[in-house]
Amino acid sequence: MEPIDIELDEAELELPEEPMLLNVGPSHPAMHGTVRCVMELSGELIHQVDVQVGYLHRGFEKMCERGTWAQVFPYVDRCNYVSPMLNNVGFALACEKMLGIEVPERCQWYRMALGELARLSDHLTCDGAMAMELGAFTPFLWMIKGREMVWDIMEEETGARLTHSFGRVGGMAAPPTKNFKQQSLAVVEHILGIVSEVEKLLYGNRIFLDRLEDVGIVSAADAISLGWTGPCLRASGVAYDVRKASPYLKYDEVEFDVPVGEKGDCLDRFIIRLEEMKQSARIIRQAIARMADSGPINVVDPRIILPPKDEVYNTIEGTIQHFKIIMEGLKIPAGEVYSYTEAGNGELGFYLVSDGSGTPYRVRIRPPCYYITGGLERVITGQMMADVVPCFGSLNMIGGECDR
Amino acid sequence: MAQALIDLLKSQFPTAVLETHSQHGDETVVLDVRQWKAVAEFLYSSPKAAMNMLTDLTVVDYPDREPRFEVVAHLLSLSLGHRLRIKARVGDEAGEGANIDTLTEIWASANWAEREAFDMFGVNFVGHPDLRRILMYPEFQGHALRKDYPADKIQPLVPYREIPGIEKVAPFGRDEGMSFGRQTHSRWADDSEDSQAN
Amino acid sequence: MPTFKLDGREIPFEKGETIIRAAQRAGVDVPHYCWHPGLSVAANCRMCLVELAPPPGRPALMLDVLRWDAEKSEYVVEKKPKLVPACQQGAAEGLDVKSQTSDHVKRARSAVQELLLLNHPVDCPICDQAGECRLQDYWLEHQGTKKRMHDEPIHKPKGQVFGPTIVYDAERCIVCTRCVRVSEELAGDPVLSVRERGNLNEIVVAPGRKLDHNYTLMTEHVCPVGALTSSDFRFKARVWFLRSVRSVCVGCSKGCNSYTDFDPRSLKVHRYRPRDNEKVNKYWMCDVGMLDYKRIHEGRILEARTSGESTSRQGAVARAAALLGETRGKLALILSAEHSNEDNAALYALGRTFLGATHVFYTGRPAGQPDNILLEADRNPNTTGVLSVCPEAKPVTELGKVVASGQVAFALALGSALPDQAVSASLAGLSGLVVFASHEGPLPQAAHVVLPAASWAEAQGTFINSAGMEQLSERAIPPQGDSRPAWKLIAELGQKLGHPTTWKRPEQIQGSASANEVRA
Repeated sequence: MEPIDIELDEAELELPEEPMLLNVGPSHPAMHGTVRCVMELSGELIHQVDVQVGYLHRGFEKMCERGTWAQVFPYVDRCNYVSPMLNNVGFALACEKMLGIEVPERCQWYRMALGELARLSDHLTCDGAMAMELGAFTPFLWMIKGREMVWDIMEEETGARLTHSFGRVGGMAAPPTKNFKQQSLAVVEHILGIVSEVEKLLYGNRIFLDRLEDVGIVSAADAISLGWTGPCLRASGVAYDVRKASPYLKYDEVEFDVPVGEKGDCLDRFIIRLEEMKQSARIIRQAIARMADSGPINVVDPRIILPPKDEVYNTIEGTIQHFKIIMEGLKIPAGEVYSYTEAGNGELGFYLVSDGSGTPYRVRIRPPCYYITGGLERVITGQMMADVVPCFGSLNMIGGECDR
Repeated sequence: MAQALIDLLKSQFPTAVLETHSQHGDETVVLDVRQWKAVAEFLYSSPKAAMNMLTDLTVVDYPDREPRFEVVAHLLSLSLGHRLRIKARVGDEAGEGANIDTLTEIWASANWAEREAFDMFGVNFVGHPDLRRILMYPEFQGHALRKDYPADKIQPLVPYREIPGIEKVAPFGRDEGMSFGRQTHSRWADDSEDSQAN
Repeated sequence: MPTFKLDGREIPFEKGETIIRAAQRAGVDVPHYCWHPGLSVAANCRMCLVELAPPPGRPALMLDVLRWDAEKSEYVVEKKPKLVPACQQGAAEGLDVKSQTSDHVKRARSAVQELLLLNHPVDCPICDQAGECRLQDYWLEHQGTKKRMHDEPIHKPKGQVFGPTIVYDAERCIVCTRCVRVSEELAGDPVLSVRERGNLNEIVVAPGRKLDHNYTLMTEHVCPVGALTSSDFRFKARVWFLRSVRSVCVGCSKGCNSYTDFDPRSLKVHRYRPRDNEKVNKYWMCDVGMLDYKRIHEGRILEARTSGESTSRQGAVARAAALLGETRGKLALILSAEHSNEDNAALYALGRTFLGATHVFYTGRPAGQPDNILLEADRNPNTTGVLSVCPEAKPVTELGKVVASGQVAFALALGSALPDQAVSASLAGLSGLVVFASHEGPLPQAAHVVLPAASWAEAQGTFINSAGMEQLSERAIPPQGDSRPAWKLIAELGQKLGHPTTWKRPEQIQGSASANEVRA
């Protein structure tokens, strides 16, 4: 029998000269199910690529122009469904900025704790999925186990695991439950354990490192020009975090660091998220320590906050208040605002335009991963076909947020 | 801080700055559309402005105004830590002639942002290297985020099957769900040919 | 014009005007329940209280009051100005009035509002007024506090039938007496009055009487709360689902300005509301007009007919064209005072210019009893308009003569009603009658071809009232069934006959009022 590895003179091989056009997605596991990449390949090298998004477009901004301001909350939940709480709070903060109100201190700490828990869930999902796509299934299972714990808390607090619709203009839908503090602290402990286990498992794994290191490098200048924010920008060495640069809620009163990468390759983006989870844990602990056990969580304003149900059913004043807020919607003074917070993927901005009525005139969401996905073309051009998987995974594209 | 920036812009481009205002801490400059790109270039390159990131670019449709569209861009300087909102107004009543220079040569993020603005509002970004629809499919007709695009309009790529006894209706009424604080007098009074067509 | 100051803003006024009236004219709303610009001043709700600055050099009229200071746990002596109702206080040059800007006024309004809601039932979910209720609006604007009284509220009769059109709920009533004043001052029939005192008082109908004058629905219209409800509109629709267009009532030749309220989902018109117009109907409409909206959906012709048989619109147009092809100059036109100028002008243009009609008549609904307030004897909205389209048009009652003499054998008609049953006989003598009608009636009944026209709510149109005012009525809903605006059907028929009646918009019809761009 002839040996298989015959010595071949490559010059004699007749390889096709014109590049091959390969269509990946939109229903491809590596494309997270919602993006299509049309790639021009020469061998395994990607010459050119056309990234096509929009397969999950649901007319978010158009829908927002139809209901009341409060009815936007369920929609923003469905933008980033991995960390909906951050979107909820981001939108609430934008509305509150226009109304010129500030929620009570207890609510601010509550929002921070819930938001950082959501960030944990976001990063756990991203890094877990990224590892899984490269064949490392164990970290994925561990991390998803951690995410389940976060969702248990969310379920306890909001009644829903995934899409909570828990934020309200002027507060939250309900005060923290009795077990919130205890359970959160325990979960944070668990997740930190998972993070260190994942680190042990992967940081010494040559296959894993080889697939990530020096792959998909994005320079700081490129990242800034592409409008990248969040972990992806910080991985490229730019220490920009909205929580530090323009603190909202009580972020100026807690201690945390902004981890920054060196090279901006896929490994940096992977590590940044693990590091950020440690910082989130710090923030959660501080927020929980400082959150009062009792006290109001909603502002006192009959124009904004719904009355308790027994007042609605039993007093005319409560009925009227409920009716006004539900049927006409709470009125936000005419004007415009750009309010931004640090979501799981970076700067989540809301550009709101109000005509003074109960219905938004325009709700523009600045989705962080729309701009990050906009840079995908630049990241994978010139890479090998197989590197698309870690590159795309490390950007953490969330279809709902990117396509809206 | 941003006020100093506005003063700088005013002195540098006395004819470009049409109006300025500040609301909720956001400084806004409305620019002459003809100098849109020149001002943007200045904001990017001037060390006093150093606007190295275009965080967002979008459009707001005011069908009762002329020009009708307001192109809104939010700029951020990471090094100096300030922000600025710049606007320019384009387009006539019918949405025609909405032309504005592209900013893709200055900020790469303008690429997809402008494609989306083109897709949703039909604003034409002159000089854009790849101006096609991005969120909607190429066959889509009209621009979905314009105020006069009915939210209940259905555009099937594949025509609906005709099933006897089943009438396929639009999912929503024209302004169902809108708070009744907003009246839509004039839109219902439309007696034009197309609204009465079969 | 002299002016006074309201919250720092200069308000011009005419001599003898009250503060609230002058402010309303200037677009500033002073909150009120009982005051109505078209009624006398009652000043009983106390919602419009304002603070007046004393004349220069004079001390303010202040009352000593004791206020409980929770911090000191003691009463403290305070001074409070004497507030006056803005609906009663005449405006005077240089007067300095504080409404929104005075804390005393704010407190007084909040207290008034709290008093009015003290015994109010929790009825919003089942109340027709919800959504356009002053109690709701003013609670949010001027009170915003929760209930402090936890006793059982006073109970009073609910669902009392006042007459054929009105149902009264005494629990919701704030006894502003607007309805009493409407009956007395507008309708001239003082059938309502107030009984009892304090929180027991309620509105009653005079013994042995019913609330049955021609302006009963105005009592409901002026009711600022849900106490009086119209038995016609009751439980039919929630107002926040309704949309409005500006329309003109077609019940008589007065041309009262109205709003047509319709549900955009079911495309059903649910009611009219009067639209203020100082020159025509002021603030009012009569019951006949208010209930006239029903005809938009009742007795309609929604498909084309030839010789009494239903057919397609295209088929009917073809049949009509065939009929009219052989008129040989024996064609008469019948315009309609029920239809808009656009429809009449289209028919006139087709008949006179292209088909060479020799005789022009006009028809309409028979005259009725006028009430000498708003309702006029001529029950057609556009008699003046028809005569402006064709000044030589004769009443359709004279059609009989020309048919009998053989001068006319064919007729092209608009509308459904005939002023006189006798005309039907002369219609029978025609060998071809083509009618564009929106409703069933003697005219389409006698027709050989009927084309379904849209009603006034389904097409924009102008109407000229008896005073010669041209007024625009907007389209509320799309044409029902197979109907189309009459002028479009006329254009279709004209084109079928080979004439250039290619009007796309009403302005293009020659001689139509909208071609002259006149808008009321």
